[in-house]
Amino acid sequence: MTNFAIGLFREPHAALAAAGTLKRAGFATPELQSPVPIEGVEEVLGEKKSAIKHFTFFGGLIGGISGFSLAAGTAVLWAHPVGGRPIITIPPYLIITYELAILFGILFTLAGFFISARFPAIRERVYVPEAAVDRFAVTVACDDGETFKRAEVILRESGAEQVRAQTEEG
Amino acid sequence: MPAESNDLQYADIHRDVVRSIVETGRTYYITLATAAGITLVCFFFPWFYQLYYGIGAAGMNHPGVWGTYLASFIFWIGLSHSGTLLSCVLHLTNSPWRKAIYRSAEAMTLFSLMVAATMVMVHLGRPWFIHWTVPYPNQMELWPNFRSPLLFDVMAVTTYLTGSSLFIYMGTIPDFAAVRDRTTGWRNHMYSLLSLGWRGTDKEWHRLHWAYTFLAVLIIPLAVSVHSIVSWDFAMSIVPALHQTIFAPYFVVGAIYSGTAGIVTVMFVLRKSMNFGQYINASHFDNLGKLLLVLSLLWTYINVVELFTGWYSGTSTEYEALKYKLFGYYALMYWEMILFCAVLPLLCIFKRFRTSFLPMLILSIAINIGMYTERFLIIATSLSRQYLPDAWGLYVPSLVEISILIGSLALFVTMFLLFVKIFPSVSMYEVKETMDTPKAEPAAPPQGSPA
Amino acid sequence: MNFLERFAAGWRKNRKPGYYDEFDYHWSMTIDLDRCTGCEACVTACQAENNLPIVGEKAMAKGREVQWIRIERYWEGEYPDIKLRFIPMMCQQCDAAPCETVCPVSATYHNQDGLNTQIYNRCIGTRSCAVYCPYEVRYFNYNDHKWDSPLDQQLNPDVTVREKGVMEKCTFCIQRIRQAKDHAKDDGRRRVRDGEVQPACVQSCPTQALVFGDAKDPTSQVSKSMNDPRAYRVLDELNTAPSVVYLKKVEAKDNHAG
Repeated sequence: MTNFAIGLFREPHAALAAAGTLKRAGFATPELQSPVPIEGVEEVLGEKKSAIKHFTFFGGLIGGISGFSLAAGTAVLWAHPVGGRPIITIPPYLIITYELAILFGILFTLAGFFISARFPAIRERVYVPEAAVDRFAVTVACDDGETFKRAEVILRESGAEQVRAQTEEG
Repeated sequence: MPAESNDLQYADIHRDVVRSIVETGRTYYITLATAAGITLVCFFFPWFYQLYYGIGAAGMNHPGVWGTYLASFIFWIGLSHSGTLLSCVLHLTNSPWRKAIYRSAEAMTLFSLMVAATMVMVHLGRPWFIHWTVPYPNQMELWPNFRSPLLFDVMAVTTYLTGSSLFIYMGTIPDFAAVRDRTTGWRNHMYSLLSLGWRGTDKEWHRLHWAYTFLAVLIIPLAVSVHSIVSWDFAMSIVPALHQTIFAPYFVVGAIYSGTAGIVTVMFVLRKSMNFGQYINASHFDNLGKLLLVLSLLWTYINVVELFTGWYSGTSTEYEALKYKLFGYYALMYWEMILFCAVLPLLCIFKRFRTSFLPMLILSIAINIGMYTERFLIIATSLSRQYLPDAWGLYVPSLVEISILIGSLALFVTMFLLFVKIFPSVSMYEVKETMDTPKAEPAAPPQGSPA
Repeated sequence: MNFLERFAAGWRKNRKPGYYDEFDYHWSMTIDLDRCTGCEACVTACQAENNLPIVGEKAMAKGREVQWIRIERYWEGEYPDIKLRFIPMMCQQCDAAPCETVCPVSATYHNQDGLNTQIYNRCIGTRSCAVYCPYEVRYFNYNDHKWDSPLDQQLNPDVTVREKGVMEKCTFCIQRIRQAKDHAKDDGRRRVRDGEVQPACVQSCPTQALVFGDAKDPTSQVSKSMNDPRAYRVLDELNTAPSVVYLKKVEAKDNHAG
């Protein structure tokens, strides 16, 4: 059970400034919830590294190898001479390689996305419904009432329209 | 409802799009019933008749063994090239005008591909064995022939179908979350599942952005390869009018061309039927019109190249096929194709034409009619005039084929109608990105939750 | 080391064009156009031997005939100097067949006898092989066929009846070849002798315009026929390497110079 202080803002840069202030004041890293991606988050909250590009790369590699092995391997298993061509014909098999490389790249990228963004959400996490429409929310974990009050002060100073407390189960 | 588009707030878009999903009027049900009915009567019943009787129910013969089914297959795959390809390219170039239209365009791609897959099954002589084209280990120890261009087709279309559906799904996750909050009952359950617990945190947006960009980067070469591969069904033969290296660029350009015309049609219908007039406006049509003009000129150039190289080759068979195309039995169709695809789109030079909605609709429909004719002519005229003059023949489509063609269009419309009630057909978060962020009002009461 | 050698040997074998080091037999045919009268006895014999469907008048009018061997007729010249040319055209059993590569389910392939075989059970009816064949000798079953009594009693039990949706073409009467090879094997494991097996068309030609045999055997009649100076292959420039050789018809006036 974690308690959160939520601040609702109408403008994204105000929310961003609040998050920066909170971070510098020693709070746990705040999270921003918004209906659109906010620019400049990385400068304030630190750079994000995503592992997705590794997923894509390995997906493409594995796909390419599988594609060629599938085509050439099955052709050798069932040697079926056609059209005076060799059993392992390179140009057509390169096309199969290419297609499967892209397919696996796509699938692995999706898997990477789910894994790195922690989807699907199994346990309930703090959520601000207004943030899906037209408000920008800053959520920060607060242990007790005192911390909450300090957070509330910072949020109000940054221009929060509304500050409330929310609890996350689990 | 605010009238001017520059007065729109985030909440207005939100409300409008959610309303388009949740509120259903009688017109919608009537249209859906009509489309589904036409699909059943014009597509499925003739197809069942053909399954019982054999391909003889269609008009194909010897040597015209391919006909409208394959032309429809290529047409629908061509139409599918618009949405996802355009969406990906414009995403990577950060174009703003894509934001309102890309969701429906991608849906168009998805459903075109599904209809194309159905057309393959209609085309086959023994479609109950279509699973033999899939490489799976079996007790017969048989594998498909990976050297065949038709098998490249299977791989490419499957990959494209998977890629497009995952792409549109991934891009819609934030919108599913937004709609989830506004719905109750079974819709709420469905959207909760579909949105996977999206909260809109900065981390999630970051991941989504990168995953989406990588998918876009992967899908662009995929889309180019899919229609090239489809063109190689023809180009890898050694029959005179089909064995041309220009086919791969020809088909890809034709696909993007007919697909863009399809987007114009769909956008017009969405504007009218879903009241999205504020989000899809004249500037979108202006840009689409410019794209159509460029593609039309490119298409005309490629046609001229095809004619020129055919004539310049000096071989009697190639020349004969060309003469037949221009002046033979199907000559009227050929010149209609030239009129609709090469001449009429030149009207897009004028901005006044590009920004008027109804003329653009008529032009887009004409372009698609012309492009269907093109695919049909490629098949019919090439097969009619091959090397041995004794084997020349004539192919005329039968009633069953024409009915299935109309039915496939109705199938597409049915699927699209179901789509607009499940997916938010305009991307809410991207349109919000194009608008100014809501400004804080000094003393006004908070806007509160919109209706 | 052993594995590498085996892998290299396997790679070389699988990269060899045509795959076979040698055909067992190389069944070929020559057609002497000087002797062909266009009587179509070969067409009738083929229909009888291979259970070809009788498609009926309406289907013929639509162009849906199934004639594994057809006589192509070309008129030359103007009246009164009209000439009529006949070319019997059947599956040329090309060694570099364009139809084989395109079948997605591998229903057609080149067997060790040099024949282009069609596996009816595997065919799913994409009809792309018919598009790719430049000789247009592949025929499709547009519907199920029936033979009115008593024609159903003359069906050949050695040959299957094809259902709708399946592609078919001339097989050089592979059932007869198979029978001859079996007979030769039983008869002391020898090779099939020249003249022991003849497809139905060759057997029925009244002028013996068609000659069939094993081109690998230099003493066979067909090998000698193929070396005739009149020999040519149809659509040779397409490099399909057909196994059917035509002997050009020589006109009387061709002998005079000028």
